[in-house]
Amino acid sequence: MKQQKEIEWTSLEIASKLYPATWSLKDPKVFRISCELDQIVSMAHLQQALDLTIDDFPLYRCVLKRGLFWYYLEESNIQPKVSPEAKAVCAPIYMGKKSDLLFRVSFYRKRINLEVFHALADGTGALLFLQTLICHYLTIKSDDFTGIVLANEHSSLSSVRENSFDKYFIGGMRKIKKPGKPKKAYQIRGTRLSENRMQLIEGVMSTHSVLREAHKYQTTLTVFLASLFIYAIGSEMKAKKRIHPVVLAIPVNLRQYFQSVTARNFFSYINIGYRFEKHTDPLSQVIRDTEKLFKEQLTAENLNDVSNKYLAIEQNMLSRIILLPIKDLILRLASRLAKRQSTSSLSNLGIITMPPEFDGIIHSFSFCTNANRPQMNVCSYKDVLTVSISSPFRETDIQKNFFRLLSQAGISIEIAANL
Amino acid sequence: MQYCRQCHIHMRGSRKRCILCGKTLVSTDCQTDREEVFPEIPPTYERHLALRILVFISITAIAVSLALEMILSTAVNWPLFVIFGVFSTWLGFIVVLWKRHNIPKAILWQVVIVSLLSVFWDWQTAWRGWSLEYFIPIIYVAAEMVMYITARAMKIRVREYITYALLDSIFGIIPALFILFHLVDVLYPSIICVTVSIIFLAGIFIFQGENIVKELKKKTHL
Ligand SMILES: [Zn+2]
Repeated sequence: MKQQKEIEWTSLEIASKLYPATWSLKDPKVFRISCELDQIVSMAHLQQALDLTIDDFPLYRCVLKRGLFWYYLEESNIQPKVSPEAKAVCAPIYMGKKSDLLFRVSFYRKRINLEVFHALADGTGALLFLQTLICHYLTIKSDDFTGIVLANEHSSLSSVRENSFDKYFIGGMRKIKKPGKPKKAYQIRGTRLSENRMQLIEGVMSTHSVLREAHKYQTTLTVFLASLFIYAIGSEMKAKKRIHPVVLAIPVNLRQYFQSVTARNFFSYINIGYRFEKHTDPLSQVIRDTEKLFKEQLTAENLNDVSNKYLAIEQNMLSRIILLPIKDLILRLASRLAKRQSTSSLSNLGIITMPPEFDGIIHSFSFCTNANRPQMNVCSYKDVLTVSISSPFRETDIQKNFFRLLSQAGISIEIAANL
Repeated sequence: MQYCRQCHIHMRGSRKRCILCGKTLVSTDCQTDREEVFPEIPPTYERHLALRILVFISITAIAVSLALEMILSTAVNWPLFVIFGVFSTWLGFIVVLWKRHNIPKAILWQVVIVSLLSVFWDWQTAWRGWSLEYFIPIIYVAAEMVMYITARAMKIRVREYITYALLDSIFGIIPALFILFHLVDVLYPSIICVTVSIIFLAGIFIFQGENIVKELKKKTHL
């Protein structure tokens, strides 16, 4: 029999262990980062760029496999292919059975889309992949650019694929004072779109004009947008539902708190809640309360506690030796319960930087996740701020409230929608 | 670009109405930049025709057999056979659908199901012993061959099928028990089956032992 190459495999880090267990057709755990250029995308050049990029990110060649106790990533020799965008936004990638790559690169007119199954990477990790892809693409496409490197490309291959959770957290549970039993958060209801499609509404505006507005309330961009979103959801609440708080789950990129450049998952969550007393709560009050909660929760110590708690569960021997199918079941139940403690989520990918040579060529970036409830994703590139609201529902009232709040403040908005 | 006077927003693309409020949009400038940002994705109709036909045939067969039984009242309980037949077909069909992305696994599952069914059928039809004497040994050897040939033909990597080949060869030893416990009168199919399986097992362990160890380590990491 033929001698064969040693096959590399990697266990999943704690944050991604949840996704293979809890994906469903309604919630395939896929997110998308797109980059819009000033020119129509060429398929052949994009494929060349992808061929180069995949060599920089060997982990993206992995397929997801089931072990007896855990899922794991296994290296494959599948060659990724770019394709014209022909599937719904954030269509399922991992569907349990077939071993296939965990990401997809597609394009439509001037846009290049990278869609990723969340077990492979988080937004920041995937962004690194897309940035590299765009750099390669533009360099191949035009002879004007040579020797361009990404600002954050100092990372070695092994640090890109490291499991930062294991590196920075030791696990173990410190007794955390719980502020009472977590209350059930308000849940948004609506009419589901057919085929589990999702409605994506992207608003593009000037970062500076939104920042100016945020500064009027002496707050940051994320807090400002979170407050507006909470306010927009609150405006649609029925009076008798107001006993439940509107809670936003906000993922926090841990790379900024702990030195790490991993292209895999490395994030934690904070929960920001607001209880509407009456219909007339002014926006300023929502912003003030949100600001306070952000300050309280966004400390390295608090994030440490949350992540250590996760790791403690992973390291618990009993939870380790439970067979995978049973583990799947428990995780599914747990995530369903956890979902009831928040109304929606807001994820800010932050400021995306590209080499200055590409200034006129790259128009904007946008970021969205698949949604089993309306949720918001934000990213910015230069002065272009993209706020995407994805929703599984036909109704667009929350989106309308949100964008009208911004346009009433005199901010000029361009909206694009997929349906 | 177009504009919504209610929401005070600009709308990209060529749509007629505001996505937020549903009001008709007005053009602010003449005709520039109406190009779409997202492609239109047509609905995907799921193709379940084969499944529907199978359901239809199953129900028809059971209904007709029940009717014939009542009209003709034969000695053999035909409806029972038809129901078992339908059940067996479905079992096989479901397993193939379920494991279709992993052919070695599908083969292994089929072997288990078909051998259990054969014993059941044999037992239901006055136990003539054909299942243990001929059917099971033949099916085990066939599975070993089929697995090896498909794996080579489809260029499935060794480590992808090695665990299943191993399990399959272990199944192949089972007919030894038939001989030991005097469950069979015709011995040669069982003897051949056990011999072939031992050869297979030896081959797997001697040439692919490291692969099996690695595969097991991976599958059972804690
Ligand atoms: Zn409108």
